[in-house]
Formats: sequence, structure tokens, C-alpha cells
Amino acid sequence: MTPRPARARATLRLAQIEAALLTRSILVLAGLVVSGILVWFSTYRGQPLWWNDAWVIGYGQTVISLTVLIAAQLATARVRRDGLAELYKSFPSSVGRRTLAHLIGVLGAALGCLVLIGAATSVFELRDAVGTPDLTVLTGGVVLVLAGGAIGVAIGTRFPHPLAGVLGAFVWFIPFSQSNRFNSAIVWLFPWVKPPQLSQLPGPLSGYPPALAHTVELAAIAALAGTVALAISADARRPRVALLGGAAAALAAIVVACAVQLQPIPTRDLDHLVGEAANTGSAQHCATPAATPASVRYCLYPGFGSRLSSLQGPVNAVLAQIPDQRTRTLTISQTSGLTLDDPTLTHGHSPQQVTAWTTQLANAPANLPSSSAIYVNLGTWPAQGQANVRFDLALATADWAVGLPTNVGARTSLQSNRCMPLEQARDAIAIWLTSQATHAKLTLLRNTTRSVSGYMPVQVDGVTVLAWVYPGQDATVVTLGTQTTAAGYLLATAMATLPTQRVAAVLAAGWDTWTSGLATGTQLAAALGITMPAVPTGLVGPGGRTITPQPGTVPSQPQCPT
Amino acid sequence: MTLPPPVMSTGSRPRRFWTRALPVLVKHLTRTTPWVALIAGCASGTLVLAVMAYFAGHTPLNQDTVRFTFLPAVAALAYVPHVHFRPLVQAMPVPTWIVSAGQTLLAVPVLAATCWVQLRLVTSTVPAGSAGSLPAVYPLLAQLTGWSLLAVAIAACCERTRYAALSGAIATTAGFALIATASYTDAIKRHLLTPPATPHAATTTWYAIAVSALALACLAIRDSWHRYARRLHL
Repeated sequence: MTPRPARARATLRLAQIEAALLTRSILVLAGLVVSGILVWFSTYRGQPLWWNDAWVIGYGQTVISLTVLIAAQLATARVRRDGLAELYKSFPSSVGRRTLAHLIGVLGAALGCLVLIGAATSVFELRDAVGTPDLTVLTGGVVLVLAGGAIGVAIGTRFPHPLAGVLGAFVWFIPFSQSNRFNSAIVWLFPWVKPPQLSQLPGPLSGYPPALAHTVELAAIAALAGTVALAISADARRPRVALLGGAAAALAAIVVACAVQLQPIPTRDLDHLVGEAANTGSAQHCATPAATPASVRYCLYPGFGSRLSSLQGPVNAVLAQIPDQRTRTLTISQTSGLTLDDPTLTHGHSPQQVTAWTTQLANAPANLPSSSAIYVNLGTWPAQGQANVRFDLALATADWAVGLPTNVGARTSLQSNRCMPLEQARDAIAIWLTSQATHAKLTLLRNTTRSVSGYMPVQVDGVTVLAWVYPGQDATVVTLGTQTTAAGYLLATAMATLPTQRVAAVLAAGWDTWTSGLATGTQLAAALGITMPAVPTGLVGPGGRTITPQPGTVPSQPQCPT
Repeated sequence: MTLPPPVMSTGSRPRRFWTRALPVLVKHLTRTTPWVALIAGCASGTLVLAVMAYFAGHTPLNQDTVRFTFLPAVAALAYVPHVHFRPLVQAMPVPTWIVSAGQTLLAVPVLAATCWVQLRLVTSTVPAGSAGSLPAVYPLLAQLTGWSLLAVAIAACCERTRYAALSGAIATTAGFALIATASYTDAIKRHLLTPPATPHAATTTWYAIAVSALALACLAIRDSWHRYARRLHL
């Protein structure tokens, strides 16, 4: 009989070989690439928030977990699939030892996970991620992959057909793909779930999702699969009984971990979260940079200070073009799109308590009409500042400068609440200021497909007019304010063809008059020495024909007060 | 020494050859078709769908769910055209392609039944009042046909290579990669998915793909492997 140390050495050597084979398996490498692509496409649009993006990395690792499961099943079933079981029986290592080597070899897949985590971390840090990475969540992603590998070994020990691995991966994948069907805390028990509201949190929330208990659950699943695989391949009764005892212990650990995950989030933590989300714009988070051309307060959540420059850029560029506005104060505030309809957040709390929180959120400053505050969504604000979002923020600042409403007051962004500054010169002035601040070519933004911008029929006081959908309007990054008109856009386009100093001089000479809301676009055009452009009466469709909207399909919006 | 000519798998066959061979062939094909893999693939997806339909509650299942749960059946189908002991089969008096083609034909009713059961399960979750507003099912049938024939074509192509033993696994992986590409690439999916494609356009495109895949599979399984010479001079 082979001595025990020699058997252990042989097992470890076998495990090394299996780990190397698994690491360079084409399936695992393809899974790694797809995981990387998935993580990139899930994160590149918004600013990186570690409490959200650590879970996104784990979400990407689900692909590696699936491919490792299939690769481990193929590797474990290799001997039986090739009809070499009899030959291998003559080898010094038993089936059980080889299964143990396969299980240890699954650790080779962790290398791919570490590469993915390292690459993602580097990219996030280069993009100035907010917060710090949670080691428990990142470890959970690695354990997810190891659990997939252990399940693959368990399947391969019993079922040698290659389809068995594919079917195992299919069953492992179901909870990932179908978690959206479940509207309760039970989704935490699925292998990996990233709740969509994570990106709307102003900071990490303990227990949402329950990272530690979930990592323990995944580790217990891996242990259960491993012990089942060893029990299947054990050639004696005693070790099999001992392994089944281990499997029972792993099962108990799974049950305990699941029970912990179903515990509600403490009331104190949710109170703090709702308070923070509702009090956007409150003084404790606000700062007024010294060197600004107007009195501007920037209210950011703690940890988001580095975002100040990306907000200041478009705002200062607009304010630099207008007369002194220090008598008025503009507030630029971050807001959270947090909603309490999510049972994973509020489960275990009384309906009265949830109603109280909902009311608190509904009364948040971002939900009240305002002409002095602009709100930007923390979850969708881009890290590097996309052109259309810069345009959106600059236009909101210009609206404030000319006295137009900057926030309609409903965080649900109801289009019907937005007022239209019909026949008002300040509409064109706001668009012109924005184009000067962002260097946008207005003539290129008459895109009727509305992919970036374009015209949209709207009813104001029973009359159908054309609104101009500006770049960034549909991005829902900046809360909705005034709806720009086609007439304002066309006049601003004509103004943009004139020398900037000439337009600025005309505006400065009668700023209060032009921005009162009483001055019309025709008057402004006359003051500038140009004719008011002809405003189209309908949308122009393919072939140049005019499209007449069906009665009842045109939204009705109010006129902006003067 | 001149040996007598070996039995040929091509060329002229005796009269009533097929009449006599067909019952034996059907018996052989029925025995060698990988029923366990095929039924396991079809049943696993259907079982998952049945569980989802049971727990559907107020969220009815839709055609996307069928697309997802039909994938194991497509994976199982990829293992069907595999010819065991090809060198031996080549020496038989029937063409080799008859094994792949016959096994695939035998799998068709199983796949059709799977599709029918899955569609019934999805329909059972839709409230009676809104049954009339369900999307047309014929683009989905065309899509599933296209997926299945793509998997068969890839498997048949692999059968001609040195990786014939892994044809099923390769066809599954490559088939899923193609399906994922078609589902997530904007430039492709606007011709294949409804919406944005119209049901008629999507159906036409999928059947065009299916016919092309079928033609490719027929070319791949054709009987043009190494043959013994008519006369061996040793």
C-alpha cells in the first residue's frame, strides 16, 4: 500500500496539473473574456461607486462560474467518457484521490477571477471610484466561481456525458436570469443578485445585500458539492459515511446562512438612508466655492467631493457669460433615485414605518418645484461627463439665469409638468448661452429622429406647437425643468451665427427686460438686427411630407409664467 | 495475390435493397440515437419552465422564457448527429450519412413535442382575458427551428474534422455563442428579433438561416469519406 505522505504528494501533484489544465481551458478563458466585457458594459456609463460596482464584478463572474462548471465536469468525467476507467484502476491513485485532486484543482479558476478583479479595480480607480472596495463582496465573487467548479466536479463524478455539464450550468444559471421575477428578500438566496437600487444609494448600506452571509452560503454550497463528489467516488463505506456527515454539516451551514440573509435591514440604518436621500440640498452637505461669477451652492453627498469639478465646468461656463447674479443663489444638488417599493430593502418592517419613509422621501426638496435649484442624479451622473449631460446641466443653469423654472417638482419626471416659454425671448437666450458654454453646434441638433435631439408636438393652451428636445433631455441625469421650444431653438441658432460680443452686448444692455418673460423672440431678433426665423407648424417625415399628429396623442403642457 | 473486392458502400445495390434494409436501419437508428441526452435536455428545460409557471403568480411568462428554456434542448440536439464507429459504418452497404440524418429525423418529434409543451405552459400563465393580445408564435417557431438547425449544422461540420469526438460539445458552445451574438448585437438583432423586426421579416430571416443551416448540414454529412478502392492489389 502506498504510504500516506506519498499519496498526499501525488494528490497535490495531480491537483496542480488539473489546476493548470483548468486555468488554460478555452472555456474558462472565454468565460473570463465575456465576464470582462459584461463588467465593462455594466459600469462604463456611470461614475464608479464601489458599493455597487463590487457586486457588478461578481455579476460578471457568474459567466466564469458557468464555464468553470462545464470545464470541471468535462475534466472529472474524462476517464469514464474515454472508456479508460479500467486502465485508471491499475494506477496507484484511487478514484477518490483523483476526485480530491479535481476539487483542489478548481482553485486554479480563482486565478482568472483575480485577474478580472484586478483589471476591474484598476479601471474603477483610474475613473476615480467613490468609496472603497468591500473585500467580503469581492471574495464572494471568487467563492461563486469555486462553487461552480465544485458542482461541476460533483456532476462529472456521477454523469460522464458532456451534456450533463451543460445542463448543470443551465440549472445554475436559472436563478441569475430569473431573479427579476421574485419581488422579495428571497432573491438574496440566489447565487448572485445585484439589486438595481444599489447605484442609487448615497453610500454603502449594511445588509443590502447581505455580503458576509451570502459568501458563507456560497462556500457551504461549494463544500456540499465537494463532499458529495468525494462520497460518490469513495471506495469504502467508512469514509463515505464521514463525508455524508460533512455534507450534512454543509447543508446546515447553508440553512443558517440563508436564515441570516432573510433578516431585515435594521431600522436605524434605513432611517439614516432615507434621511440622507430626502435631505438633499440641506446645509450640512453644501459648499460655496469662492471664485464663482454668481452665488452657487454645491450640495454633494459625503464622498462625492471629487465630482465637484465635473459639475462646476458647465455651470461656470454659463455664468461667465451673464451679468452679475450674486444677489440670487443657485443650488446644484445631488439627488438619489431611491424608492421604497423594493421589498428587499424594506422587508420585515411595518407598513406604517414604510409609509412614513415614503412620505419623507416624497417631501424631499428634489420633489418640490423650484426656480433656484438643479438636481443631478447620483446614480446616472457620468464619470467623465458626456457631452449631452454637460449640455443638459448647462441648459438648466441658463434657465436659472434667465429666470425660468429649473425643477418641475416631481422626481418621477412627468413631462406634462414642464412649462413651455412660448413667445418668450429668454428661451432662445438660455439655449444660446448653453451653446456658447458647451461649444455645441446648434445647427447639427435639428435631428428629427430624436436620437439626440429634435422636434416634438406639444399642446399649450389648446394650440399645438413644436417643442425642441435638447441633448440629454431623455438621459434623466438632471431633473426636468423648462421644456425648450422649436421657436427658441431656431432663434438661438440664428443668434449663434452672429459675433458673440455683439449678442452679449445686446443682452447685457437690457438683461432684465430680456429675461422678464415679457420680451418676445421677435423683439430680440429685431434688437439683434436679424429676422425671426420661420417656425415649422408640424413634423417633417420621410420624403419631406408633413406629419399631422393624431388628436389626443399630443401631450398637454402649461405655459411658463412671466 | 489478388483479394476479392470488398463490400462497397456506394455504387449499384441489389434490387429491393432499401426495402429490406429499411426495417433493420430503423431498428439500428432507434437503438443508437442518444435518447437519454436528448430527453434529458428537453425535459430539463421543460421542467424548469413548469416550475417557473407554477411560481409565476401575477407575472405571466412570455416568449423570452421559452427562448431560454429551449436552449438545453438545442444543446442536446447537438449530440444527436454523432456517428459512433464511423470506420465500421463506412464499410457497411448503406451510406454513412443515413445514420446522422436518421437520428436527427428521429429527434425532430421530441423537439416538436418539447416546443409544444413549453408554449402550452407559457400560455397557461397568461390571464384568460389577455390571451388575445399575445404576440404571434410563428416568429418564435422560426427562431427555434433556426437555432436547432444551426446546432445540427455545426455538429455535422465538426464530425468531418479530427475533433469528431467532441462535436456535440463544440456545437453546443459555438451554437450558444451564435445565439448570444444574434440576441445582443444591435446590427443583427434588428433583423431577427420582434421588435424591432416585424414578425413576418423575422420569420423569413430565421427560415432563411434554417434552410442555409440545413443545406450546410446535408453537405457536411454527405458520404464522401475515404473509400476502399474497387480492387486492392497487394
